Amino acid sequence: MELIEQILHEGAQRVDELEVYLFSGFSVSARLKRHEIHYASGANQQGLSLRVIHKGHIGTSATMNPETWNACMDAAIASASLATPQDWEGLPGPENLDPTPVNYDPDVTPDAKTAKTLLSELVEGTKSYPVEITSGSAEVARYTGTLANTSGLCYQDYESMVSVGVETIVGQSTGYEYDASWKMDIDPRIVGEKAAYLAHSSQHGKDIVSGNYDIVLSPIALAQLLGGVFLPALSGKNVHAGRSRLASLQGQQVMDRTLSLRDDPFHPRGLSSCRWDGEGTPTRIVHFVENGILREFAYDLKTAYRYGKKTTGNAVRGGHGGSPTIGTHTLTLDGREENLREGRVVHVNDVVGAHTANPLTGDFSVELSNAYVLQDGTVEFPVRKAMLSGNVFNVLMETGGISKDTRVVGSMILPEIQLKNLAIIGS
Amino acid sequence: MEGIRYFDVRHVTGTVTHIDIDNTRVESAGTSFVDRAIIRILGQKGWGILAIDSYTRPNGRSFEELLKRGGSLASLTSQEVTLADVPGGIIPVPALREDPGDVHLEEKQELLSGIEKGARIDGIKSTRASYIERTETVRFENSSGEEYSYSLCRSGFSIMAIAEREGDMQMGYVRKHAIQDFNLRHRQECGNVAATRAIALLDARAPRGGAMNAVLDPELAGVFAHEAVGHASEADLVQEGGSVLEGTIGRQIASPSVTIVDDPSLPEFGFEPLDAEGSRVGRTEIIRKGRVQAFLHNRETLAAVGFGHAGNARAMAGEPPQVRMSNTFIENGDSMVDELVSECRSGILLKGSRGGQVDPGRGIFQFNAEYGYLIERGEVGEMVRDVSLSGEILKTLHAISLCARDKKMHQGYCGKGGQSVPVSDGAPHVLLIDAVVGGSGTH
Repeated sequence: MELIEQILHEGAQRVDELEVYLFSGFSVSARLKRHEIHYASGANQQGLSLRVIHKGHIGTSATMNPETWNACMDAAIASASLATPQDWEGLPGPENLDPTPVNYDPDVTPDAKTAKTLLSELVEGTKSYPVEITSGSAEVARYTGTLANTSGLCYQDYESMVSVGVETIVGQSTGYEYDASWKMDIDPRIVGEKAAYLAHSSQHGKDIVSGNYDIVLSPIALAQLLGGVFLPALSGKNVHAGRSRLASLQGQQVMDRTLSLRDDPFHPRGLSSCRWDGEGTPTRIVHFVENGILREFAYDLKTAYRYGKKTTGNAVRGGHGGSPTIGTHTLTLDGREENLREGRVVHVNDVVGAHTANPLTGDFSVELSNAYVLQDGTVEFPVRKAMLSGNVFNVLMETGGISKDTRVVGSMILPEIQLKNLAIIGS
Repeated sequence: MEGIRYFDVRHVTGTVTHIDIDNTRVESAGTSFVDRAIIRILGQKGWGILAIDSYTRPNGRSFEELLKRGGSLASLTSQEVTLADVPGGIIPVPALREDPGDVHLEEKQELLSGIEKGARIDGIKSTRASYIERTETVRFENSSGEEYSYSLCRSGFSIMAIAEREGDMQMGYVRKHAIQDFNLRHRQECGNVAATRAIALLDARAPRGGAMNAVLDPELAGVFAHEAVGHASEADLVQEGGSVLEGTIGRQIASPSVTIVDDPSLPEFGFEPLDAEGSRVGRTEIIRKGRVQAFLHNRETLAAVGFGHAGNARAMAGEPPQVRMSNTFIENGDSMVDELVSECRSGILLKGSRGGQVDPGRGIFQFNAEYGYLIERGEVGEMVRDVSLSGEILKTLHAISLCARDKKMHQGYCGKGGQSVPVSDGAPHVLLIDAVVGGSGTH
């Protein structure tokens, strides 16, 4: 705290406003090569991120060595002098927020023994099916961040994280599964078993005839398409900069009328849930899409002040010690729960190449991974190789419902979803 | 020290300077500071690794304490790691043509603004230009008493233009990166190229997917080499049993016109003067005239798998080295581009890249072109957009029927295991027979 006070004191002499974010973390991870532990590692991370605002000029800098904060402040001030000035109405002051961390579990202990136990259980889980492990990993981490500014705000937060992942193979059939939580409540055996099932059950794949099919996307596949295309279009910055297809559609239907897309920063399972955002604004539920109708876009202070809007508490910090930008905390999708596997559908666990989708127009054509043709819930055959094409914005306009169960995928908590009549290029 | 067979330290310090200009506004510009070290200790079995932000090399007993900490992590491992004896040594870093560090941030911003201005023509709704410059000093030492250090600067820019007409939007972009040079000068035309392409794409249609002949331009063919061959040839994947190229040494997996090489010693964007574990770098012919010759290696995979030489261990600052590609390319053939188009007869000419991905164990890859043109009766016709290609590693390489002789390298970044490293990919124009093309259109 002494260091932060010193930086704020110095900053107040030189600029109108200063924001300090001091971060530290410790993580232990271990990695499998085949079924044995190849390495165990411990990482001490630290970072200092400064943002200065002077007469509407905003400048940032960051360093991994907080002791060199002086050079970092010089760099932030130099950065501000170059930036185009904008309307600015001040950094947030302190509010009476509950300081209890929302995603911190003191039982998450970053030690090598914990990582080793997680890996042992992961390996055990894969033995449910006759497959080989190619690689796997377990990580246990704790982070602390302090956000303070010259308006008197000073919030300290703690986070914890435990994650496992494993890749399996049999012949040329592969499977990958992972899980992550801020609590010690993940079951590496189930993760191992699922990865083994995916590789085992995808063997002896058959070609699928090219044509249009009803598709069920797993939360993993859905997260890739939403994250690469739909989310950037909800950023207030992209909306005002002419880079969002949704820019002029507020109040109009942009999804199936049964679907609602929210950022819920208080979701108890969210890995990035928080009571205040990356610049200290109290967070709230942001209703991006309600019953198919586009309601809100995401704003941080900078974008909100510039365009005469209110921040939605959507500033997030990328990486450790990163500057705040617009993002989401815990994205959720609600809708009409249905049995998605009735009739004939293609179930897609993952896709290859989602990041090559056109982020502006939403057009995508990706390769399928662990896909199965299902008839009334029974696997008819695994698909050997096929591409799936469509447009993210269009395919979300008509769905066959979502699943009851959801899973955590990064900063999203998503169900499975059925999409109607998508093009598959098979043989 | 007891129980420690080997250690090395790789400490990276430096600065990252960026400029972001969004619709003529300087959104942000400035410099941040990097200081991260990775210390690897090889115990009786496997590795113990420490990552430390803001590292100062301790001396004497303090350094021994650090090694002990790593050694205790290593004691948890069960895999027996052997390191091949390989030549170390550093090759000269290319001389700086112009040091970006000598150019004032304001001048950089003005030059970038000039590029953005070039994109702001009629029909363009939004423009964004960004510049990134990373100067790093790497210090390496290991328990064999080898010590190396070098500094390297990588810089580059991108310009994106978005065209809009009656609610329809399309984008065009140009990206260029360089090592040991300042590459913002005399680039104004790049803005115009991005903008003109975005406008042209408004009239392009999405093609219908299916199997067809495809001519790939050097940028896309380079990505094809990277995704279809490069990743699967990384010997850590081979060692783990996660690559379809395992057991293929000496096998003909491509047509005889195909030779694919990786070479970190070339002064291209993926250049390394030595690799991340101190090994000497050099050329690897992964495929020669269609036959698999070698894999890409670090010291450990060379000992475990064989076929090739070490020198492809690469890492981000403060991250453990992985086996990675560097500058990967398909060698020139002897055809002319016109011959490829005429030989294609009916199909598609694909240009530019939006990236790709591979599942090396399954042997399936996918990559995406920025734009393309239909080829009808051996002639280039209507423009198309949003075209992907996918294929099977062990089959598709046989489908390269012709290679032109106009090889060009393109710069980019490649992700693996959570790390992103600078690479270059290259190729001449190539002709693929019966490629699987994905597209959501109807024509």
